[in-house]
Amino acid sequence: MKVSFNASFNAKSVRAGALGAIMAGFVLAASPAHADRIEKHFAVQSKPKITVRNSTGRIQVKAWTKSEVMVAWTNASGKAVVETEVAGNRVEVATRMNEDGAPADDTKTDFEITVPVESELSVRTDSGNVTVESVHGDMTFDTVGANLQLTDVDGYMVAKTIDGSLVCTRCSGKLEANSISGNVQMISPTLDSVRVQTSSGNILFDGSFLSRGIYIMKNFSGTIEVHFSPSDSFDVNATSLKGDVINQATFKPDTHGNPRPASKWGQSLFGTMNEGHAKVELSSFSGTIKILKRD
Amino acid sequence: MKCEQFLEVLEQQDAVELQDPVRAHLQDCDACRALSADFEAIRTIALQLDVDVAAPAERVWISLRNQLEAEGLIHEPQIAPPGASINVTVRGWWANFQRPAFAGAFLGLLIAAAGTFSYFSNFSQTSVQTQLIPVQEASYVPSADSVFKEEVLTVGSNSIPGLQRQDTAVTDSIRRNLRIVDNFIAVCEKSVREQPDNQMAREYLYGAYQQKAELLATAMNHSMTGGLQ
Repeated sequence: MKVSFNASFNAKSVRAGALGAIMAGFVLAASPAHADRIEKHFAVQSKPKITVRNSTGRIQVKAWTKSEVMVAWTNASGKAVVETEVAGNRVEVATRMNEDGAPADDTKTDFEITVPVESELSVRTDSGNVTVESVHGDMTFDTVGANLQLTDVDGYMVAKTIDGSLVCTRCSGKLEANSISGNVQMISPTLDSVRVQTSSGNILFDGSFLSRGIYIMKNFSGTIEVHFSPSDSFDVNATSLKGDVINQATFKPDTHGNPRPASKWGQSLFGTMNEGHAKVELSSFSGTIKILKRD
Repeated sequence: MKCEQFLEVLEQQDAVELQDPVRAHLQDCDACRALSADFEAIRTIALQLDVDVAAPAERVWISLRNQLEAEGLIHEPQIAPPGASINVTVRGWWANFQRPAFAGAFLGLLIAAAGTFSYFSNFSQTSVQTQLIPVQEASYVPSADSVFKEEVLTVGSNSIPGLQRQDTAVTDSIRRNLRIVDNFIAVCEKSVREQPDNQMAREYLYGAYQQKAELLATAMNHSMTGGLQ
């Protein structure tokens, strides 16, 4: 009897164990642990500084009214480790590989980060898109091929890419951007300081030149296109050494600065629209500069 | 006096009259004489340029060191056997190069060399070249403009150790953009040669040099660290 009981018990145990193992395997197969979304919350005070370093993957940053930073990530391979560090108002997030020599695909980690509206950001990434929405604070971006999309942001923004593009929509404050072959677009900006340089990329400025604003755009071979409205007030200095300057504006001679002699190299355009409150400098080596009337 | 002692004196002396033992060593040792001449040339050019040299970014410094090591121009410090004055010179040069102030001055000189090129339109016509030619002939130590021309302007992504192992998208991007910048440099140099008084062309050339240096630094960082660090 005892033996029988033990045998029965053992058989049940084996069946239960087997069932458990099968179920566990099913769960693992259906929802691999490494693909899980991991989320962390950090309480912060006003104006925290958030630093993100990620080799490849999408980085989305949004703002909310909470005094809290939420960082969520997904690494499909499970081979990347995300380290977070919090010290007071500083939050750092960094991705590193578990093993050396892992393929680039394994490092791909997507981030969703939500921060207080007033936050500082510092993002370094190689590839993958970076989007930032409605954050007000200073920001730096350093990427190789990652494209940057900034929307409704306000602050001092510094972006450096090798061939990643930058699209800045309704950005306010100051913008410095430097790229080799990336395009830079500023759409409906309210920026009072713009310093944009790209070698072979195109530059588009479609917005108003603010009073006292300084706008410097320079490239080597791409197109520089600025759109103006008749009410804009700015001085312009546009020169393309080997390319063309196409102008739809009516400028009067610049009465503010020193009279500039016409350059004997390339095509140049100097002049003032209305009172010349803003300063616009456009320069290209072999690209085309377009000063076009806004539709 | 030994070479090591001479190097210490050389580091400390600043256009001060050399003591007799130092002068005697200079007469006897070709390598130390060459090194001293190079230092003097650099100092002279720096004074002539009359520019404030900003300290380079750490990554630029690390990248340049690795590039020079990869090219075999420099090596890890080794104990020189007695009498191996040339080795001592190179070691001393490198040891000096590792000092932040000297490194800053040297890298500043590289950039200044680019600026000088853009100003005078042709290296062969510059005072930099004129002053460095005898130094080059007398020394195993690479001069500033030769390092700039040989190591920075001619280096490509293929010669960056370890870069190929990285994310192919990143590697391709760096390689593609190096080609773009190299092309710009070539176009700008042509323009400057054709139009020596074209200030704008010179500024673009100078900018292209800077871009190449930055791009190489980025590439080096990636090859060394396997990505972002």
